[in-house]
Amino acid sequence: MRLGQNPAKSIEHVPQPAPVTVAIVSYIPFLSGYYAESLEVLKVCLESLHQHTPQPYDLLIFDNASCPEVRDYLQNEREAGSIQFLILAGQNYGKGGAWNFIFQGSPGEYIAYADSDIQFFPGWLERSLEILQAYPQAGMVSARPLRTPAALYSSTLDWAKTAEDVQIEEGSFIPWEVYRDHVLSLGTPEEQAREWYESRVDTRLNRQGVQALIGAAHFQFTVRKSVMQAFLPFKMDRPMGQVRALDELMNTAGWLRLATCDPLVRHMGNTVPTAERATQPAATSRRRIWDQPVLRRTLLRIYDAIFRLYYTR
Amino acid sequence: MRTGRNPAKSGLEAYTPKELGVALILYIPSQDGYFANALEIFKMQIASLKAATSQPYDLLVFDNGSCHAVVNALQELYKAGEITWLVLSRHNIGKAGAWNWVFASLSNLYIAYADADVLFRPGWLEASQEILKAFPQAGMVSAQPNFYDVMDGKGQAQRALENNPDYQAGSYQPSIEAIDEYCLGIGATPELAERFHQQPLPGIQHLPTETQAVLGASHMQFIIPRSIARQVTPLPATKALLRAETMSLDSKIDQLGFLHLSTRQPYVFHMGNTLNERLLAEFQQITGATPEIPKTDPNPQRQLSLARRWLSRIARTPGGQRQLQRIYNLLFQVLHSDNR
Repeated sequence: MRLGQNPAKSIEHVPQPAPVTVAIVSYIPFLSGYYAESLEVLKVCLESLHQHTPQPYDLLIFDNASCPEVRDYLQNEREAGSIQFLILAGQNYGKGGAWNFIFQGSPGEYIAYADSDIQFFPGWLERSLEILQAYPQAGMVSARPLRTPAALYSSTLDWAKTAEDVQIEEGSFIPWEVYRDHVLSLGTPEEQAREWYESRVDTRLNRQGVQALIGAAHFQFTVRKSVMQAFLPFKMDRPMGQVRALDELMNTAGWLRLATCDPLVRHMGNTVPTAERATQPAATSRRRIWDQPVLRRTLLRIYDAIFRLYYTR
Repeated sequence: MRTGRNPAKSGLEAYTPKELGVALILYIPSQDGYFANALEIFKMQIASLKAATSQPYDLLVFDNGSCHAVVNALQELYKAGEITWLVLSRHNIGKAGAWNWVFASLSNLYIAYADADVLFRPGWLEASQEILKAFPQAGMVSAQPNFYDVMDGKGQAQRALENNPDYQAGSYQPSIEAIDEYCLGIGATPELAERFHQQPLPGIQHLPTETQAVLGASHMQFIIPRSIARQVTPLPATKALLRAETMSLDSKIDQLGFLHLSTRQPYVFHMGNTLNERLLAEFQQITGATPEIPKTDPNPQRQLSLARRWLSRIARTPGGQRQLQRIYNLLFQVLHSDNR
């Protein structure tokens, strides 16, 4: 039975959610192989976020069944006060599943999503919000200029062509170094990156003095929660590879997909950037042997098989 | 940069939610005073839920800013696989604030909610499902007869059944044991208990299936279909526990035309914040496990001290009770309230 009155009834006010919820999904099942540096990458991600986000925000981490070391780190960060909402999933819920959870549950009016391998730079949130406010039809805004497939931003282009108060410019507005840095972070060979860079141009918009490039990506973006609701729930029967549907859905629904003109976030991938690393391992001739395509494919197959064994145990 | 290929992209199956998601909201800021037994009671709740639920379910525990020891205990339960999703909120965002979370984010077809002090008995889910099936307009179904009309007689949704030949309304008199148990659970005064004994409950029956229910549901425990849960959020959430805020759930459900219903038999029991022999015996019967014995005062002499007897006497007077409550709440706010 209840004895006495629950003192929680005497709490006059509870903290109200910040206008922005920064939501990050982590999945680091072990700290070797592909994930050997992933915990360090996650640390860079959170440290750079705290360092370069002066605006009030709630940080939400959805951990998709990472290994104990990662969970301990996140729990320590929560206790230190740097994470407001820590969600620990007992199994890998998939990126789409995690998105369903965070985009529906996040209390902020805006949700700034990032993968756990993103590094933040000064101004990333301010500039993203500035674009969202200057472009009322803005759906998702990435804090890095990108060249994305034209089919995914056709609505943005159509809107810009008909809007009276928007100036459109075409040209090469993304410097090669900025483009290269991102494309190489995805594991693309430099020659391929150069070829892509030279074969495409950028479209820049200007509305009310706020510039934005056309194109956004789902590894990092800021979105109004109300806009996101229309696209939920996502299909979530696989851990990865299904979230691209968001790009298509948003374009089909007529929402703009935009990006900042400057690189204000960086995709680190699964290695810590040179500037954040104390010592950088040197490439060796043995390394080059492993880089042979046939050998790499075989090793990758074995690696995937081991991962599956681990994952499904 | 990315080296190699993320093995998670190799087409592995991700986890798919079960049909039923159970959400429990927990707030134990300390392990003394009102909350001295709260963690043990919560563990009993999880064990009874597991033992009494015949179908697979996902369990979400939303911790609303509990103390370190409680968070550690939750982590242990999570590691042991007892919790599917553990949400650790740094601050207490209020019961309605936590509801906003769980109702909006759980992907299960049905969401069963319970306060963190509810004992589940075998049959709770089947009885609730039977009502959900027979009453497609059901918005909230509790597994205990509802004695307290949170809508204060202003509910409108049930009027839609008045001219429906499939449904028949009528009074229902619960058993004396069920009323006594309810009164025990909420710590009802003798006057209130008498009122519950005298006043029959509004009953309703679905004639084709002969499914019987009580009109009204309780915030303490209920099942809500996901589709309805999505429509009622967000609820106003400015206080930790405010009736007006939690009641907005009821008014929204009613405004949408959905019913508040409950079972005629008590399949759940409000344990509150105290343990007693009867409760421990029932827990053992449900789970087959021996419950942990509640803490006893290691120094019985203290109970006899003059100061304690004097304070007890003051606490029994209405004025003294109010003052002590005020001091206790003040201390609670100083110790546990967090204002960012």
